[in-house]
Amino acid sequence: MLTLLVLTPLLGAVVVSLVPARRRELHLPLGMALSVAPLGLAGAMFFSFDAGEASFQMVEKVVWWEPWGVSWQLGVDGISLGMVALTAILFPLSLAVSDSISHRRKAFVVAMLFLETGLIGTFLALDLLLFFVFFEVILVPMYLIIGVWGGKRRVYAAVKFFIYTAFGSALLLAAIIALAVMHASQTPDGLLSFDYLALLTLDISPTAQMWLFGAFALAFAIKVPLFPFHTWLPDAHVEAPTAGSVLLAGVLLKLGTYGLLRFNLTLFPEATVSLVPVLAVLAVVGIIYGAVVAIVQPDLKKLVAYSSVSHLGFVVLGIFALTSAGLQGAVIQNVNHGLTTGALFLLVGMLYDRRHTKQISDFGGLATPAPLMAGFFLFMAFASIGLPGLNGFVGEFLVLVGSFPSLPGLTVVAAFGVVLAAIYMLWAYQRVFTGPLEGAENRKLADLSAKETAVLAPLAALVLLLGLYPGILLERTAPSVEAILDRIEQHTDYEAPEPGRLADVFNTASEDES
Amino acid sequence: MIPEAFPEIAWSALAPELVLVFGAVALLLLDVQRKPGVKVLWGTSLVILAIALALGVWQWIAATPDAEPIFGGMLIFDRSAALARLVVLGVSLQAMVAARSLFAHLGNRAAEGLALVLLAAAGFILMAASQNLVMMFLGLEMGSIALYILAGIAGDGVRSDEAALKYLLLGAVASAVFIYGAALVFAGTGSLDLLRVAGFFARNLVLSPAVLLVGIGLLTAGLSFKVAAAPFHVWAPDVYQGAPAGIVGYMAAVAKVGGFAALARVLLSGFESFRPDWAPIVAGIAALSMVVGALMAIISSDIRRLLAYSGVAHAGFILTGLASGAQGSSSVWFYLAVYTVQLVAAFSVVSALGGAVSSGSDLSDYRGLYRRSPFLALVLSVSLLGMAGLPLTTGFVAKLGVFLWAWRGDLEWLVVVAVVASAMAIYLYLRVIVIMYMQSPADDDPVLCDRPTSWALGAATAVTVVLGVFPQPLLKLVESAVYL
Repeated sequence: MLTLLVLTPLLGAVVVSLVPARRRELHLPLGMALSVAPLGLAGAMFFSFDAGEASFQMVEKVVWWEPWGVSWQLGVDGISLGMVALTAILFPLSLAVSDSISHRRKAFVVAMLFLETGLIGTFLALDLLLFFVFFEVILVPMYLIIGVWGGKRRVYAAVKFFIYTAFGSALLLAAIIALAVMHASQTPDGLLSFDYLALLTLDISPTAQMWLFGAFALAFAIKVPLFPFHTWLPDAHVEAPTAGSVLLAGVLLKLGTYGLLRFNLTLFPEATVSLVPVLAVLAVVGIIYGAVVAIVQPDLKKLVAYSSVSHLGFVVLGIFALTSAGLQGAVIQNVNHGLTTGALFLLVGMLYDRRHTKQISDFGGLATPAPLMAGFFLFMAFASIGLPGLNGFVGEFLVLVGSFPSLPGLTVVAAFGVVLAAIYMLWAYQRVFTGPLEGAENRKLADLSAKETAVLAPLAALVLLLGLYPGILLERTAPSVEAILDRIEQHTDYEAPEPGRLADVFNTASEDES
Repeated sequence: MIPEAFPEIAWSALAPELVLVFGAVALLLLDVQRKPGVKVLWGTSLVILAIALALGVWQWIAATPDAEPIFGGMLIFDRSAALARLVVLGVSLQAMVAARSLFAHLGNRAAEGLALVLLAAAGFILMAASQNLVMMFLGLEMGSIALYILAGIAGDGVRSDEAALKYLLLGAVASAVFIYGAALVFAGTGSLDLLRVAGFFARNLVLSPAVLLVGIGLLTAGLSFKVAAAPFHVWAPDVYQGAPAGIVGYMAAVAKVGGFAALARVLLSGFESFRPDWAPIVAGIAALSMVVGALMAIISSDIRRLLAYSGVAHAGFILTGLASGAQGSSSVWFYLAVYTVQLVAAFSVVSALGGAVSSGSDLSDYRGLYRRSPFLALVLSVSLLGMAGLPLTTGFVAKLGVFLWAWRGDLEWLVVVAVVASAMAIYLYLRVIVIMYMQSPADDDPVLCDRPTSWALGAATAVTVVLGVFPQPLLKLVESAVYL
């Protein structure tokens, strides 16, 4: 089933590319319809997922490049489950708002579906080389989406995006090769292997762990992006078309945090434990820096882009807290951020389609002509700030609760990020949607159309669902998260601080939310 | 084993080369006797190449890993030589199918040009199969001299003449360096036969190997020139830029196959026991080539110079595989097989766009190629992405193979240099793709290419992608071509 899930978007891309280019009215609806298929499959996967199981489920393995031990191996666990579901949800919605793509529409839809295959594949791959292939192949459609359908400085932004990530993944490839060769030298038959599960059994010296951790972490830190590797992000976000921004923030950035969680923590536990201070400090710097820079942005899209730097800092902090609650918070915050920031980018895109500007100073008082839009924006802004009852609260609260026992000082600093988030989000809302309504264009601004409402409503519903009943995701992620911590505790002398493990904190945390 | 009588010759082992050489002669005679049209001559040369390729496939099936030397130890058609033959013939066919317009332009020189192409292919195959350094030199010269003439065959332009002359002069120096190296090897071991050289080292302890080391160094330098590895690459951009567009891809591809096959045989078969001595040198050349090639390509404003410098970088990647020892030679073969296909395809596009006898192809001519010819833009993009080593193209598998073996061969530092260089290289290929897809064309005239060219380009693109996703067959093939 997972293979089908990965390949249906690709199949969809083939179908769309067969439709003649002059039938332009067909491409977008067809692409949307085709992206519902993977959504259905992802839903089936989500609900047939066995919540009590820590190891990978629905594993499929086919030998691919035999001489090098590369296999087409897919599997899902609690860490990847939410991400796959999020990806499948965001694609039909992003395609739905892409009416403003006026030229080369067919190519756009094909690129989008190709991107979906790559993203789902990255989250499901259990073979490191297969992971790398997906991880790298994603760059091409994303590069095209920014570079062909983006704003004025699109080519600059696209090239910058590509170069940054390509450099990161170059060293990642070297590290993956090192692991495969290590496998060959540590097994009696001397065969190369890229199988994640096989590589987990390797005995890696502490020095080698440091180097390999560094190579993996650099690739993922650029993707996240972790301060100071974030400079590609504002350019890419601002220039990308709405669908591109939604997917960039919603899913692509999560490849970084997913990679840290999936590979760095489990493959290099010793290095993880000794490098916690570095990563955690960078995460907190990112939280504060991203938030402060977001406050002063005159451009609404850039504001949301910098808020991503801040929010993903929370995710990284949660990961390197190395406690159940922290990791749980990181996993769920990964999904949350995709929903809320995705929705905020959609809203910014809708504003831009109407007014062809993203400057906050050009707006004002829009709540009067467009109450529905204002309502959605405020709702998503609250979710992003972490208002109790909405999903952002669950994630950020778990991260803070989880990291306090292990990193109390940093947690205190990070908590200010929540305050700063309230400042930049609410201030932006105030300047755009309240205040005096000036200018003819603002006055006759159209409110959300039925279609736009239909795009935003499911996201809002999920935000509320995850805010009120986070257990639907948390119970599925818990065993996998525990397994990661068990692994770290077995391989190092690290012990999660009290209250650090699930039994100590998770129950109390979920009671607090309700 | 000096033969007392005339040695028994396994002519059948040489069948493809005999077809090429006699075919070349037949083409010239046909031209003199009948004065047929260019189409007939071109078609005949394709048939000759196809027959040679078919015989090559037959020989591949027949060849065994423990093949016996033939011609009194001059040639050996083991798996690696048989594979080199397949690659040379395959890319020759690919290049010639796309080169009809070049020979149409050459007019009454077409037969000579076609004959030279066939002879060059035969020469480089013989070079790859040489077990004796003198035979290797003969193959090298047979191929190179044909290429010197081909570089200037259009004969209408200062650039073309300059290219031919430069290639000739520097090529002659490189040949001289090579033959000097061969002489020193003879002085040190008393033999030019690489198997006997290897046997000499097995039986004798060489206490002062200075002469031999210089000899190995000179052989490596001479062959590095042929494959355009830095710092022996300076001729490549000028020659690629000046020679007729329709033939550059062919020239570059066959010279690289011949050169690397010879280098692999010299280093891995003859001087394997000296690997600790030559590996650092080869690794150094590799690192230098990758970095210099990528950097110089980035600042090139002519696509041919760009491809020439990127070829320097690719030579570095291939040398990386070579430096990792005999096991790594499988990755060298894979790389050569897939890179030459991309290279020839890229130059076929250059030729289709700029004219088959043109010199120089400024990058600005490629602005908005997407609109003028979606097909050519796609082919060039796939070839460039393949060269960039993007996953799902053969280029990725090739690079991965080289890196894997180099890491296993304890050349970790070289792999790190290589991955960084390949990340830099991505930028330069991307630059061309940006120009083709994201800039507006100067004019909207559609670019047309003849039908055979589009077949050759389509096939090359399909090979690059399909073998990039399912490289298994080719991986198995090259694994059997390892020097053991």
